[in-house]
Formats: sequence, structure tokens, C-alpha cells
Amino acid sequence: MFNGLKARLNDMATLRSLCEQAERQALLDQQTKPGAEQFLLAALDPKDGTARLAFEKAGADPAALRPAIARQYEDALHSIGIRLTGGTRPGTERRPLPAPAGIYDPAPSGQALMQELAASRKDHRPLLGAHVVAITAGMEHGVVARALRLMAVDPGILKSAAEVTIKGALSRAPG
Amino acid sequence: MNDLFDLSIPEDPEAALAAVVALRRLADAIEQRAVRSALRQQWSWARIAQALGVSKQAAHKRLSHLSAGEDPI
Repeated sequence: MFNGLKARLNDMATLRSLCEQAERQALLDQQTKPGAEQFLLAALDPKDGTARLAFEKAGADPAALRPAIARQYEDALHSIGIRLTGGTRPGTERRPLPAPAGIYDPAPSGQALMQELAASRKDHRPLLGAHVVAITAGMEHGVVARALRLMAVDPGILKSAAEVTIKGALSRAPG
Repeated sequence: MNDLFDLSIPEDPEAALAAVVALRRLADAIEQRAVRSALRQQWSWARIAQALGVSKQAAHKRLSHLSAGEDPI
């Protein structure tokens, strides 16, 4: 019972840290509401290392995600005839936006990710970065899906790699 | 934006919707810069809201976190 409670408290702390990191990533990108892509970037922050490991198992470079996210915006604008250069591109700002006041308010894709994390919380123990990878890789459309396509990463392979990583990490976890 | 070509909407919904998302993000970035600039020039929130075509409350709620300082470039 004590171990269960401890694991639950750890999960809550991890989730809180993930949300804060995702918001930081969003503010760096001049957005106030973190989306799934910012949660994924936050998960790749080397805390437990499982998100990065999942990417590497799928043959993907985790460092290529951020540039791919930026490029999918540029490609989308280019597809309708708009080409941005230099400092006119959103996301080229150096300072993050100030954090908005009020309650935590993720973008819809961030909300969807948090709902899936909440729905599958019984399977976490502990919650790992690879859980975020598995959920975002399963999102068929949106920024993450487009960025993964640009990276030539098969989302199905990435999801499987994340699941294998989770299984390996959980089998080594105490308790 | 220094090159603007004729806009063409892709037939593929995936590509067209991706363009919508990118345009919204671009509009947000332009709005943030414009509001920062307006605040630096001592514009009131009522004036900014009127120029944006939204209520003062809506403008303040969505944009008040922007400081009147320099652009973050």
C-alpha cells in the first residue's frame, strides 16, 4: 500500500514537472498554450531518458524533432505560397514569452495527451517520458505527426519502440 | 515576410489544414509584435482591442501577459 501511494505521488510530481516543462517549451516558441509537440519536447528532456531511448530504438534522432517542428510550419506556409525569411519567422525570437497568469491551460492537442495519460495512469508506475512518446506517436494528425513525417520516422515503429522501452524500464523498476 | 506569392489552397485536406495551423501561428506572432509595439507607444487596451476588433476584456485576457518592453528578437 505504501509503495502504491509512493508511486502515485511520484507520478503526480512527474506529471507536474512534465506540464511545467511543456509550458516552458511553448513559451520559448512564443505560444502560451503547450500542445502535444511541446509535451513531446519536454519528455525528451533527459530526465528518465526513456523518451530519447524510444526515439533511438526507432532509428530517429531526438535532436531532429525541434527543427522538424519548425520546418513543418514553414513547409505548410510554403505550400500556399508564403515564404518567410530570417527574423520574420515565428519561433526565431530569443526570449520566451512571459508565462500567462491563471490556471494551466494546454492547447487541445496537449489536453488530449493529458487525458490519455490520465486514462492509462494505472499502467504507468512510474510515469515515463516514453509514455508521452507512445501517445504522441499514436496521434494521426497534427504538428507531431507532420514533424515525424519530415524526419522520415514511422509513427507505428516509434510507438512500438516506446512500448518496448516502457516494458524494459518497468521490469527494472523497484517494487 | 519579404516574399509573398499568390496564395493557392492545397486540394489535400491534410496539407490545407496544416497551412491553416501555420497561418494561425503566424497571425499570433504578428499580433504579439503589434501589441508590444502599441503598448510601447502608450496605446490603451481599449484602443488595442478596438483596432483588433475584439472586446477590451478579450484583448486583455489573451494578450496582457505581453510586456511593453522590447520584442524578444
